[in-house]
Amino acid sequence: MKETTVILAKDNLQGLLRKLGRDKSLVAPVTNQWGDTLYTEITDIDGTELDLSKQPQASLKGFFFPQQEVIQTYDTTAGYEFTPQRHIQPTLFFGVRSCDLHAVLYMDMIFSSPERDDAYFARRQDTTIITLACTTPFANCFCNATGSGPFMEYGYDLQLTDLGDRFLVEAGRQQGEQILQAWGHFFEPATEEDVQLQYQLSLEAGGRFQRKVEVEHACRILASGEVDEQIWQQLSARCADCGGCAYVCPTCTCFNIRDAQQEPSKGERIRSWDACTFSGFTRMAGGHNPINSDHALQRRFLHKLKYDVEKHGKPSCVGCGRCVDICFGHVDITTFIEAVVED
Amino acid sequence: MYTPKSAVIKEIISENHLVKTFRLSMVDSQGQTIPFRFEAGQFVMLSVPHRGEAPISISSIPANPSFFDLTIRKAGLLTSAIQEMAVGDHLGVRGPFGHGFPLDDLLGKDLLLVAGGIGLAPLKGVMESCLSWKKVKKLTDISLTLCYGSRTPEDICFRATIEKWQQDGVSCRLTVDEADPSWQGEEGLVTGLLADQSSSGDGYALVCGPPVMIRATIARLQAFGWSDEHILTTLERHMKCGVGVCGHCHLDNTMVCTDGPVFTLSQLQEMKVAELG
Amino acid sequence: MAGLATAFGSGAMTNSINELEDVDVVIVSGSNTTEAHPQIARRILAAVDRGAKLIVIDPRRTALAQEAHVHLALRPGTDIALLNGMMRIILDEGLADDHFIEMRTENFIALRDQLFKIDLDEIAAITGVDRQLMHTAACLYARAYKSTFCYCLGITQHICGTNNVQTIANMAMLTGNVEKENAGVDPLRGQNNVQGACDMAALPACLPGYQSLADMQIRQKFKQCWGVDVPLTPGRTVLDMTHSGHNGTLRGMFVMGENPILSDPDQTKVQATLEGLDFLAVSDIFLTETAQLAHVVFPAASFAEKSGTVTNSERRVQYMHQVIEPIGECKPDSTIIAELAERMGYEMYYESMAEVMEEIALLIPIYGGMHHDRLRSSWGLQWPCPNRDHPGTPFLHKHYFSGGKGHFTPAQHQEPFEPPGDAFPLTLITGRIYHHYHTGTMTRRCASLNRESDKALLQINPVDATTSAIRNGDLVELTSRRGTIRLWAQISEDIRPGQVYTTFHFSEAPVNLLTTGAADPIAKCPEFKVCAVKVARVES
Repeated sequence: MKETTVILAKDNLQGLLRKLGRDKSLVAPVTNQWGDTLYTEITDIDGTELDLSKQPQASLKGFFFPQQEVIQTYDTTAGYEFTPQRHIQPTLFFGVRSCDLHAVLYMDMIFSSPERDDAYFARRQDTTIITLACTTPFANCFCNATGSGPFMEYGYDLQLTDLGDRFLVEAGRQQGEQILQAWGHFFEPATEEDVQLQYQLSLEAGGRFQRKVEVEHACRILASGEVDEQIWQQLSARCADCGGCAYVCPTCTCFNIRDAQQEPSKGERIRSWDACTFSGFTRMAGGHNPINSDHALQRRFLHKLKYDVEKHGKPSCVGCGRCVDICFGHVDITTFIEAVVED
Repeated sequence: MYTPKSAVIKEIISENHLVKTFRLSMVDSQGQTIPFRFEAGQFVMLSVPHRGEAPISISSIPANPSFFDLTIRKAGLLTSAIQEMAVGDHLGVRGPFGHGFPLDDLLGKDLLLVAGGIGLAPLKGVMESCLSWKKVKKLTDISLTLCYGSRTPEDICFRATIEKWQQDGVSCRLTVDEADPSWQGEEGLVTGLLADQSSSGDGYALVCGPPVMIRATIARLQAFGWSDEHILTTLERHMKCGVGVCGHCHLDNTMVCTDGPVFTLSQLQEMKVAELG
Repeated sequence: MAGLATAFGSGAMTNSINELEDVDVVIVSGSNTTEAHPQIARRILAAVDRGAKLIVIDPRRTALAQEAHVHLALRPGTDIALLNGMMRIILDEGLADDHFIEMRTENFIALRDQLFKIDLDEIAAITGVDRQLMHTAACLYARAYKSTFCYCLGITQHICGTNNVQTIANMAMLTGNVEKENAGVDPLRGQNNVQGACDMAALPACLPGYQSLADMQIRQKFKQCWGVDVPLTPGRTVLDMTHSGHNGTLRGMFVMGENPILSDPDQTKVQATLEGLDFLAVSDIFLTETAQLAHVVFPAASFAEKSGTVTNSERRVQYMHQVIEPIGECKPDSTIIAELAERMGYEMYYESMAEVMEEIALLIPIYGGMHHDRLRSSWGLQWPCPNRDHPGTPFLHKHYFSGGKGHFTPAQHQEPFEPPGDAFPLTLITGRIYHHYHTGTMTRRCASLNRESDKALLQINPVDATTSAIRNGDLVELTSRRGTIRLWAQISEDIRPGQVYTTFHFSEAPVNLLTTGAADPIAKCPEFKVCAVKVARVES
C-alpha cells in the first residue's frame, strides 16, 4: 500500500507549483511557439501554459548530462592546472513521464560505477521529480514491454494520475512526503473510489498501446545466442550514421571529451554526447578501426538489450519510442527486436 | 575523477624519427616529485595542452615510483604536439588505469615477448621486472626471449634497452619488413622468428603490435603448443574516460580500459575481437 | 536547369519528394543519394522495401547501387550514349507511349530517326555497360506505369550537361513518364536553397521567376517596382567571372556565402582572378579561404540568427524562424545588401522580411500566393502558387507542360573534355560525402563531423593501387595537368579500375586545383566529374 495518497484539484495545481518553484527551479512540459513540446525551465508560472497532453520531444537526460558541458577549465600560464567546473541547481521537475524517470534512475546507476561521476551528480543532487502517469500511451510508446510504464511503481517523489477534474497524488519517496506535509492545504483526502478509478485507468492504459514490441523475448534470445550476421548487415546498410537514436535516447550516455582553446594559455575541457554508431567513436589516431562498419549498430542494440541486462539486471531501453520517431533509416531498436524475434 | 594531475617532463629520449620516450614525474603544486605507482601494462590518460587526452601505455619498470616513461609515436594531433615539447614542460596525467600484466605469475617463468613496432612499449616493463628478478634470485635456468619486428631498420625503438638486455642474457631477435643496405639482421615478418619458440609449459608469451601481427603471432604460438591461458596480449583502443563509462573502448560486454587492456587469449576468444579476425 | 526548361518549359523537380515512396521504378543517375540527399534516399529505399525496382546509373558502386536491382556502371561521361541505347531498346520492344508522344510532345521524328541509326554493340563499347543489363533496365523503366528519373550533379557537371538532361527528358517523354503523380524527372538540388537562388534569378540571363529579360511588359513591371531600368544584356556566368584572369575585364566582385577558391574548378585560375581584382568584398559566416583574400569582409548572420524563406528541390518554399540574436557584429545578408545599396545611393527600405516576400509575390507569378503569414506555421508551399487561395503544386505539368508541348531534343554522345591518356592514365571523379557540406566552411568546424571524416581520401581500385605500389592508408600524390594535391589512399572495389574518386571538402587537398574549367556551353556548368590524373605514393 502506498504511504500517502491524496487528491489535488486541477484548479490548485498552479498555486502549488508557484510555491514549489520558490526555492527551486521549476521544469515542466511546455509547447513553444513552433509547436515543439519540451521540458522547459519556467520562470513565470502565471504567464506560462503547461502542456501535459503531449510527450516531450527530449527526455530529462540533458538536464543532468548536457549535450555539451565544460567539466574543467585549464591554464598553462604556470605549469598546467585544471579546475573542475560543477553546476549545482536545485530543480523540481513536474509532469515527467514514467519512461523518463526510469531513464534517470538508470543513468544514476550508470554514473555511479566504478565511481560517482561528479559532474553528473552535481546536477542530479537536490532534484525533485513529480511524474504524471500515462493514461493514454503515445503512438510509438512501448514502455509496457520494458517495464518502465505507463504508471510508476517506485522511484518517484510524487506521481500524479489525471482523474478528469483532479489528480490522484501518490507519495513515493521522502521528498514527496515532505511536499504533502509542507503544503497540506492544497490537497484533500483520496476516497476509495479515487483509488479504484486510478486502478481502472492503469488497466485501460495498458490495453491502449498501439505497438507490440517483444523486448523480453528478444532479451532472452540475445542472452543465449548469436544474432544472425545478416541482420547486422541489413540494419547497418540502412543506418544513415546520423547518431539521432543515441542523442534522443534517455539512457544513452556514451560521451566524448575534447579541449577547446579559449586564449593562448587557457581553455576548456568539454564533455559532450557521443554515439556508438559513429565510426569515429572507435577509430584510433592511426586510422585503424576495430569495429567494422557492417556492425555499426551492434554495439548500441547489444549494449541496451544484452550487456546492460547482464550488468544492471534489466535492459537500458525504457520504451519511450523517441528513436522510432527520429530514425529515418527505419532501423530503430524496435526493427532490431522484430528481426531477432522473427529469426 | 576526470581531473588530470600535473606531471613534468624530466627527460626525452628520441627512439627514432617518429617515436620519443618521455620520462615524467608527478609533481605537487610546489613542483616536488610525488610518487606514482603502477603495474607493467597499465596506461595513463595523458593531457597535452589544447590537444585533449589520449591513452598511453607506460613503458618503464614499475620498481621506481619517482618516474615513469611514456613512449609515443606521432600519429594524430595530440601525439604530434607532444613531440614538440621539451624537458621541464608540464603535462596532465590521470591514472594509472586498467589491469596490467600478472607480474606475480610471470616472475621466475620463461618469458617470450613478441612485439611489433611501438607495441614493445607496454611489454618493456615486464621484461625489465623479470630480468631484475632473475638477477636478484640468481635464476640461471629461465629463458627470456624477445622477438621484435619493425617496418624498417629506422623504425626500431628502444635500441639501447635491447642492447642492454642482450648483455644481460636476453635472447633478442630482431627483424624488419623492409631491409636497407645497413641492415645485417633478419628480414621478414616477426612471425618468422617464432620457428623454434615452442612452449616450455609454464612459460608465458606476451604479444603486442598491430592487429594483423597479433592475429598471425597468436596463430603461430598456438601451433607451437602455447596454451591459451599463457598467451597474453594488450589491446589498443580509442578511449576517453579511462574508467569504463564513456563507452569508446567497448568489447562485447567488457571495457578495454577497466577489464583490460591486458587479456589472456582465452579471455579474448570469448569475445568478438578485431585482433583475432 | 537549361536542359529541362527546353524540354518541359520549366527547370525543377517535377514531383514532390514524398511521391518517390510510391513509384514503381526509379532510376537514379549521377547521384550518391545516401550521402548527399539522405532524406531522398530514404524514400527511395522505402519504395524498394514496398516492392519498387531501383536502377542506379553510376560509375561507382555507391551505397545505393548496392541496394539496386540493376546497377549500370557506365564509363564516366557516357550518359547520352547509354540513355540513347536504352531508348532504342524501348522502341525496338514496342514500349514507347505512342499516345503520349502524339498528344503531348513535338519533334519526336528527329529523335526516332537518330535512335534508328544507333548500333547497340557500339553503345556497349562506348559505355562499358553490358547489353543485357541495358535491356533489363530499359524494359523495367518503360514497362512500369509510374517510373521516375532522379539525377544529380553526375549528370549536369559535364561539358554535355545540358544534353544529358535533355536526353533524360527524352526518355521520360518517350515512355509517358511525366505529367503525372509519382512519375517524372527529378533533378536533386545540392543545397537547401539552390532552387530559391535560381528562382530569384541568381542566374545571368533571366529576371526573377525565370521571366524573360527581353519581354517589354515584364521589364516595365520591374521598372515600376524598382524605379530603375533592368539591364537588357545578360550578366556573366560564375566561371566566366572567376576564370577571367589576373588582369581580366572583371575589376571588382562581391561574393556572398560562396567559397569559389575551393568550389570552382581550376583553382590556380580562380585564385589569380581574385588576387588581380581591384576590389573584393566577401560576406560569409566564417572567414573562408576566399574571404581571406578580400579587401572587405562582412560577417554574415547564420540561418539561426535571421528569418526568411528557403526553397528546396521540390520547389517547396519554407519559412525559417530566427532562434537567436545575431552574435557579435554579424548581420543578415538582406541587411548587408540593403545598407550597401543605401550607401551607394539607392534606398532599399523594408519594414520586415515579410515585406520583401510581398514584393516577391507581386513580381513573380509562381510565388504569387507565397506570403509569410501562410508559410510561418506550415511545412511550406510548393510553387507554382499564383494566389493566396492556391494550395501550391505538388507535381508539375499535370496534364500540361509549362511550355505547351514537351519538346524532344535528340543528342549525341560527346567524349569528355579530358579523357585519360598515357601521361595521366586515370579518370578522376569528384563528389561529396555525408559528413561534410561543400568546402567544409561549417562542417569542418564541427568536432563530431570532423572526427567522422577528418581527411581527404582517394578511392582507388586494388588493380590500380597494385600498379602504383600503393597500400591502403598511404599518403599519395594526385596530379593533373593543372596541379598536384596530397591525400590518403582508400583501396576499394567500389570504384572501377582506371578511375579514382575523391571529394572537394578539404582545403588541405583542394581537388579543384586538378579539375578542368571546361564547361557545358549552355548551362556553363563545369565538368567536375571527369579529368585525367595520375597517382603516386609519397615516400615517407
